[in-house]
Amino acid sequence: MATAAAHIPTAPRRSTHSAQYRRNRVLKEVGFWSLLLVFVIFAAFPVYWMFVTAFKQVNDLYNLQNDPFVFNLAPTLDQVRYLFEHTPYAQWLRNTVEVGALVVLVTVVICVPAAYVLSRTKFPGSGALGIGIFLTYLVPPTLLFLPLSQLIVGLGLVNTRWALVVVYPTFTIPFCTWLLMGFFKNVPREITEAARVDGCSRLGAMFRIVLPISVPGILTVAIFAFTLVMQEYVYALVFVSDSDEKMVTLGVVTDLVRGDVFFWGSLMAGALIIAIPVAIAYNFFMDTFVRGITGGALK
Amino acid sequence: MAEIARSAAYRRGVVGRTFGHLLDSEKVFGYVLVAPAIIYIVALVAYPFGIALWFTVTNATVAEPLGRFTGLANLMAVLDDDVFKRALANTFIFTLTSQALQMVLGTTLAFVLLRKFRFRRTIRALILLPFTIPVAIGAMAWNWMLNPTYSVINWVGTHFGLFQYGPNWLGEEKYAMASIILVNVWRNLPFTAIVLTAGISAVPQEIVEAASLDGARFLTRYRKIMVPIIAPILYIALLFSLVFTFTDMTVVWLLTRGNPVNSTHVLASYAFQQGIVAGSLGRGATISLFLFPVLLVGALVMLRALKSRQLD
Repeated sequence: MATAAAHIPTAPRRSTHSAQYRRNRVLKEVGFWSLLLVFVIFAAFPVYWMFVTAFKQVNDLYNLQNDPFVFNLAPTLDQVRYLFEHTPYAQWLRNTVEVGALVVLVTVVICVPAAYVLSRTKFPGSGALGIGIFLTYLVPPTLLFLPLSQLIVGLGLVNTRWALVVVYPTFTIPFCTWLLMGFFKNVPREITEAARVDGCSRLGAMFRIVLPISVPGILTVAIFAFTLVMQEYVYALVFVSDSDEKMVTLGVVTDLVRGDVFFWGSLMAGALIIAIPVAIAYNFFMDTFVRGITGGALK
Repeated sequence: MAEIARSAAYRRGVVGRTFGHLLDSEKVFGYVLVAPAIIYIVALVAYPFGIALWFTVTNATVAEPLGRFTGLANLMAVLDDDVFKRALANTFIFTLTSQALQMVLGTTLAFVLLRKFRFRRTIRALILLPFTIPVAIGAMAWNWMLNPTYSVINWVGTHFGLFQYGPNWLGEEKYAMASIILVNVWRNLPFTAIVLTAGISAVPQEIVEAASLDGARFLTRYRKIMVPIIAPILYIALLFSLVFTFTDMTVVWLLTRGNPVNSTHVLASYAFQQGIVAGSLGRGATISLFLFPVLLVGALVMLRALKSRQLD
């Protein structure tokens, strides 16, 4: 609470402030910080718990006499080592990077032109198409996984990670198109008009003028598409059961459980290794995400 | 030779010019560039949805995906299934309870986060963690925290003498659903709070101050001034959160797989259980189709919200 007290503005102290006033003030600060503390513990404790579990020695982890919040025996990297030496964890990471990169590529190639015309030109039905694409984001995997599983059979992609490359753009395209539309709208119309007057074609104006200055936006969308891929669970669960073909999130929560035995230490280690980078990337773009999902209702 | 070359070049020129000319028409340019996205969505969202509808009236299975037309047999069977009825009720309980808790806690958290305080960025990042880590991983961490033997929550409980042996959170009917709701609230609370913060901070301060000078108390200011102003964004965010919760199966599947004795299934997890695990595509599709009316209402509300904004 020391920090809280120090934070009260101490500038020109007016003698009119009664003891009552100051006491209320302190009480308010204490209340505020306690409330904040409760929220932080609720939100972050599971992650702390993952951390403690991942680096504990097995004897420490499963000993009910021990205080579970701290390391009673020296921390160990055994679980992480087990992950890389005795499970296909490294392969799962490779699969995730491969699938993620391909999905990002497909998404960007399809979204950039669509978002460009939907935000910068007017043609019959353009407004409806834009909203239609956005609404597709509402269609959940749980409504489509049964028919899509048969489509995957038809394409001969059963039980391979390529099935996910085909399916994931169904949710990255709507979201990324909508986000990109916001970015493209902010590029002033005058520059493309000037280029057009100078004899540049529509396509040329897009490639030579608007896209180069929208690179930050396109990068944001690419990173987003990648994190959406890392977050996904339902399609991965339905389409891929072969251990070597799994995405990392699915592999961790399914393959580190043998029958009814959970390998909690390595499970939490594997979870932590992927959770941290995703969390950092997401945290960085959280406000963009919110803006995207609310359809740019706020500037 | 020269003549041929010239005519070839000429032809190429004509083709190039015609093509370029076509693309210069705003209409053609628009349709050509938007086409890949539309084709993808039609092929992998609209068409599969059609197949799903077909599944509901056939006895298709994973082994025999073509199936035979059986009319309303699936629907009858599903409506007669006690687990399905339970799942339908659970879906609404799960969604509405989670949503209510999220709104109350989310508003509180939003006002907390709006204040200026030390280490604000770090604290915000910590509070966002449940939403920023992959949902499957968060659910698994909770599964471990609610473990019947090693539950840390029970350890604290027994240590402080709250109970002798802690409850088996995921194994007893009365606690399992509550645990699922708790984990879902944990996961979505940051999203609700952040959307609300964005909305509230967009309200012009002068209006709030004016009202406050006029003697309006906090709750009145919130209800009469802020809510109407942030309503459009609130609507859309709520709708997303509602739809995603309503159709989610990840939390349920990773915590209980619908157990104990099928008491915690929601529509999505039961559709997965029937359609993929048990292999009855027709039955599974029929169950997941019950998600559709809610989605449709969601989409319509969203449409209206978007339209009304475009008019401004």
